[in-house]
Amino acid sequence: MLALNRIHATRIVATPSALDSAQWPDDRLVFRIAADEALITPPMANAVVSDPYAIVVADSGFAGAWLPMEEALPLLEHACEWELPRERPAFAQGSVAGIPAKLWIEKDRVLLIVPAPFVADFEERMA
Amino acid sequence: MNEFQEKKIKFAWPEPKRSYDVVIVGGGGHGLATAYYLAARHGITNVAVLERKYIGAGNSGRNTTIIRANYGIPEAVRFYQRSLELYKHLEAETDRWIMHKQKGLLNVAHTESALRTERARAEVNTAFGAKTEFVAPKEIKEICPQIDLTGGNVWPVLGGSYHPEAATARHDRAVWAFAEGAMKRGVHVHQRIEVRGLTMSGGRVTGVETSAGPIAAKAVVGAVGGHVTTLASMAGVRLPIRTHPLQAYVTNHYDLQFDVIASSPGLLFYMSQTARGEMLVGAEIDRQPSYSYGSTYHFLQHCSHRAITLFPFMRSLRILRQWTGVCDMSPDYSPIMGKTGVDGFLVTTGWGTWGFKAIPAGGEQMAQLIASGETPELIAPFGLDRFASDRMMADRGSAGTH
Amino acid sequence: MRLIVDGQPIEFDAGDSALIAMLRAGIHPTGGGCLCLGGDCPHCLATVDGVSYTRTCETPARPGMIVERHPREGYPPLPLNNPAAAEEVKARNVHCDVAVIGAGDSGKAAAEEAERSGKRVITLDAKRGQEVVGVYPGPLVVARTPDGMLHVHPREEIIIATGAAEIQPVAPGNDLAGIVTARAASQLAAVGVPLGRVVAVGARPENAEATVADGQLIRFEGNGKVEAVIVRGADGNEKRIECDTVSVGLGLSPRDVLLRMGSGLAIRAVGNAAREPELPACPTSGVVCSCSGVTADDLQRVWDSGFRELELVKRATLAGTGPCQGSVCVPHIRSFLKERGGELQAPFTARPANRQPTLGEVAAGAHHRATPRTALDAEHRRLGARMDRIGGWWRPWNYGDTRAEYWAVREAVSIGDVSTLGKMIVSGPDALELLERLYPTQVSTIAPGRSRYVLLLDERGYVLDDGLICCDGASRYGLTFTSGGSSFAEMWVRDWAETWNLDVRILNQTMSLGAINVTGPLSKELLARAGFTRPMRHMEHTMATVAGVECRIFRLSFTGELSFELHHPAEQSAELWRSLMALGTDLGIKPHGIQTLLQLRLEKGHVIVGQDTDFDSTPRRIDMEWAVRLDKADFVGRQAVLRTNKAPLDKQLVGLEMDAPAPVEGAVIWRGSEYAGYVTSSAQSHALGKAVMLGWVKLFDGVLPTELTIDGRAARRVSLPFYDKEGRRARA
Ligand SMILES: Cc1cc2nc3c(=O)[nH]c(=O)nc-3n(C[C@H](O)[C@H](O)[C@H](O)COP(=O)(O)OP(=O)(O)OC[C@H]3O[C@@H](n4cnc5c(N)ncnc54)[C@H](O)[C@@H]3O)c2cc1C
Repeated sequence: MLALNRIHATRIVATPSALDSAQWPDDRLVFRIAADEALITPPMANAVVSDPYAIVVADSGFAGAWLPMEEALPLLEHACEWELPRERPAFAQGSVAGIPAKLWIEKDRVLLIVPAPFVADFEERMA
Repeated sequence: MNEFQEKKIKFAWPEPKRSYDVVIVGGGGHGLATAYYLAARHGITNVAVLERKYIGAGNSGRNTTIIRANYGIPEAVRFYQRSLELYKHLEAETDRWIMHKQKGLLNVAHTESALRTERARAEVNTAFGAKTEFVAPKEIKEICPQIDLTGGNVWPVLGGSYHPEAATARHDRAVWAFAEGAMKRGVHVHQRIEVRGLTMSGGRVTGVETSAGPIAAKAVVGAVGGHVTTLASMAGVRLPIRTHPLQAYVTNHYDLQFDVIASSPGLLFYMSQTARGEMLVGAEIDRQPSYSYGSTYHFLQHCSHRAITLFPFMRSLRILRQWTGVCDMSPDYSPIMGKTGVDGFLVTTGWGTWGFKAIPAGGEQMAQLIASGETPELIAPFGLDRFASDRMMADRGSAGTH
Repeated sequence: MRLIVDGQPIEFDAGDSALIAMLRAGIHPTGGGCLCLGGDCPHCLATVDGVSYTRTCETPARPGMIVERHPREGYPPLPLNNPAAAEEVKARNVHCDVAVIGAGDSGKAAAEEAERSGKRVITLDAKRGQEVVGVYPGPLVVARTPDGMLHVHPREEIIIATGAAEIQPVAPGNDLAGIVTARAASQLAAVGVPLGRVVAVGARPENAEATVADGQLIRFEGNGKVEAVIVRGADGNEKRIECDTVSVGLGLSPRDVLLRMGSGLAIRAVGNAAREPELPACPTSGVVCSCSGVTADDLQRVWDSGFRELELVKRATLAGTGPCQGSVCVPHIRSFLKERGGELQAPFTARPANRQPTLGEVAAGAHHRATPRTALDAEHRRLGARMDRIGGWWRPWNYGDTRAEYWAVREAVSIGDVSTLGKMIVSGPDALELLERLYPTQVSTIAPGRSRYVLLLDERGYVLDDGLICCDGASRYGLTFTSGGSSFAEMWVRDWAETWNLDVRILNQTMSLGAINVTGPLSKELLARAGFTRPMRHMEHTMATVAGVECRIFRLSFTGELSFELHHPAEQSAELWRSLMALGTDLGIKPHGIQTLLQLRLEKGHVIVGQDTDFDSTPRRIDMEWAVRLDKADFVGRQAVLRTNKAPLDKQLVGLEMDAPAPVEGAVIWRGSEYAGYVTSSAQSHALGKAVMLGWVKLFDGVLPTELTIDGRAARRVSLPFYDKEGRRARA
């Protein structure tokens, strides 16, 4: 059974150009969840973007789980109406099993992310 | 099994005249009932109903036929109770079998806040002449033994309200009864005539432009359902109406074993069994405004899922047919009836997802308004002017379905 | 191998469909009617393993399969106890460029052509068990298969290669057994079903022995089963030919239902599905629609009544509304109407379902709206809370003893989970400008470190939501919204920011932050024990550590008691909650649920947007004009408020009280025998010993009545709040 854990992250809302030009260390996963918003994990308390009004906050509002590709694909075939991106790695967002989800797809594994308040429902639906 | 013998019905299809006292645009239930009551109650028969397709082609022939009066505000309860009473006697009045059947309607609640709504419904209904009582889960199970009170362990039933006088009738037959009754008294009903414009003179509407040429009229009534904003704009009248699709479906035919109309305002679905044994299932409007009559799988899928949650036996029924109507939704979930501010032009609209039940009273009251020139007291609160004067008829008891 | 038909075991061969097996045993599934073996007619429908209306021609026979024939009169029973059907059906999504429906010659050719140009193609065919239910916007092609539902998403095109159906005979006796279409006759011969003497009317069956009956079909004769067919030859004479089976080849009608269903999509038909329909002769007698039992005489009858449009003939007779969806009868009805009215009318709208799926199948892949849970969900359940969906979240309704919860708040200390509040940060050079335009309050006068209770209005001046604005500096604000209103509010704020092209950053933190309300006269003491002692003024906010958790603390009050709201990272909610519970044990701490909270705030006269307000609640109607500054520059709703304020006030939300018991929420309020309004919130106040209410009351001749009747008992309009009128407790 799928078990999701809270993701410790930094959430940044800034102008799209500030996010475009920001440099992120290689050991971080940076998800661009909107043109003006990025989610960085593990967290970066000292994240810098060139926008004086940027909102930079620690965030534990999401939960996620890594799945090997061969487990993820059949699950997603049932739970996901939309077509997964074909390039690797890829970031995608959309409804998965009726819950707003984010997918980080690497060559041989997938990170499934949902807002923490939906974890119980998500785990049950993906079981 | 053919229980429908239409041999008694006699429609008359005369040639259109160039001028009438009253032209009603739209051969749906409201247009035809208005014509019927004009002729039957007021002797006004120089009347034409213009229908661009066939009578009942719009929502009047697409709805889930629920007749109820358990609305949320006094004005609405009174009005719909009047309609419910008229429906009870419609077969006797028109000598036509509309398959009217009293079934009772059960609204179930899955949350404390929904319980509050159902309690409030019972209170205001009882105060204004509609019979509705608050019921506990045990009573719900007695009224509707097929229900799973645990709601599939997801949407438990905590209580609800029961409205014993709710009924259904065959929609087409109601339309035909009014059409034939009007025709018999000399009203002209013209199919395949589309109104394309309104003729204006001196600031008042004096007739219509149609696919069959101009037709003059002393009064024009817009009764075109989801297409009303287009029509009204031809007279410069802006209506606070948005058109949204509403879908429904039926299963194949099964033995008659489900007596009640069951509805879950929280899950947003409702169902009943038709006289022919189909389970008839409906839900809420499509959120996106549209004039599309296309059916979506999303609706079928989610509506079925909800139905199974409360009625597990539905799981192995087969779905026969799915369809869509486009509904004239008003901002306060109440109808808009009467004068428009432009002389010679009246509307009956805002029937949204709930106007089938209103056909007799809507027609009766509109006819009285046309005949007397005075807005009857029963429908005065539902005038178009209420939006400009901040007197909305906000009705949560209507709120979006059947 | 055997299957069971109406309780009797019958043998079948490998590869047989249930229908073929029945025919081998001399059983006609519906007693009679021309069988097509192509999925077009309704004459092979039966209940298979508890599911009625199953096409036995496309159902492979399985050992032990239970087939029950439908009753000849009436309908199959509702499956009120059908355990077999409890299985969950799964839906699989597949994506392609082109979906081809039909794997016959034309379908194969179309698929190959598309594949040659590098397209991803998926072909579906009912003969392979993939029955297409419908073609939908998306585009989406839905098929039922033996191992679940298939949702096919073709990016580019749908190709309909479903071929053509054979026209069914309409003549007296066409409801006998022993009549098959020409194609069916060939198929039956090929699998060795004994047909006896075969007579062919019209096109003859391939590969099957048949005597050809030259001439026009007049009628079938027989008793239950066909014994002879009568045709009229070119010479005008009727000829009676005895037989055991009649093969009927009357021409083809394209299976174009899916094509018509998909109008508006990128869809086209190929092969026989694209052919012009052949119109059969005008029916003169016999069954036209066997689904609804409509005869040629019925058509004439409704025609005579004045039903002239194909749609009205359908509705009057119900022809075409059964399981075959008109595929048998529509060609005949069109022919009838052309003969009578001179005009060939278009077939009626093609509506799903083309093949009937069960609700269980269709529900596959659907989920209920998920109800979010706060980070304290497990705490509440552990404490025995009854959980309820409130404002779209799972929240504790009560913990079993509402009286104890109530008194803990009023006399000691209590904590409540308010994590569901909408929480948002707005930052940027235009942050203040945005809020000034959105809110009816003068936002610029909220000093850093202060917060203010605010209303949010729509363009019509009606109350959308309420909450707080907290100032963190000239270019940064925190906003809160009601639990139920927060997702709409987020859309609202973002939409306006975009509409006005304002330079702001917006972050919705609703799901990231937990919030605990610490309330009661001993709340200060509890916080002190948790390490927070800094003095705070009412409506002030600050950052501080409480029991080791970094919090933003708001001093405010909804319950009427001294209260602090602790916003903190959601992942630390449980830790903070438990610490507070432990630190407050000897203070008499208890958590309170929403039921208690609703009563506490009612005693203070605080409005719940959505419960006490309606769609048309202006600030004036809810008696909160103090929250609206009409003298400031324009804000959303200002024009409307100015306009509606000109009309005389018609109703107002007021406080009401009466002796116990408290009436139900929704109870009607009377002034004498006149309707005056209704109760929106009602509770028996423990502290005050009487029923307290909020409710809508109409003005009579411009005056709000004071003496009212509810439930036949006297009630009085009173000023708000009911409890602690001077507000000393909250400000203590
Ligand atoms: C799926 C569904 C379920 C429903 N369920 C219920 C229910 O259970 N209970 C209930 O009470 N109500 C229900 N309703 C609502 C109800 O059907 C409608 O409110 C009611 O039928 C409206 O009747 P009408 O005469 O105003 O409009 P319609 O019946 O839509 O008639 C309008 C007519 O005007 C014609 N027309 C349009 N434009 C022109 C033009 N320019 N010229 C000439 N003619 C024109 C149309 O062809 C149409 O025939 C439901 C609706 C739908 C779609």
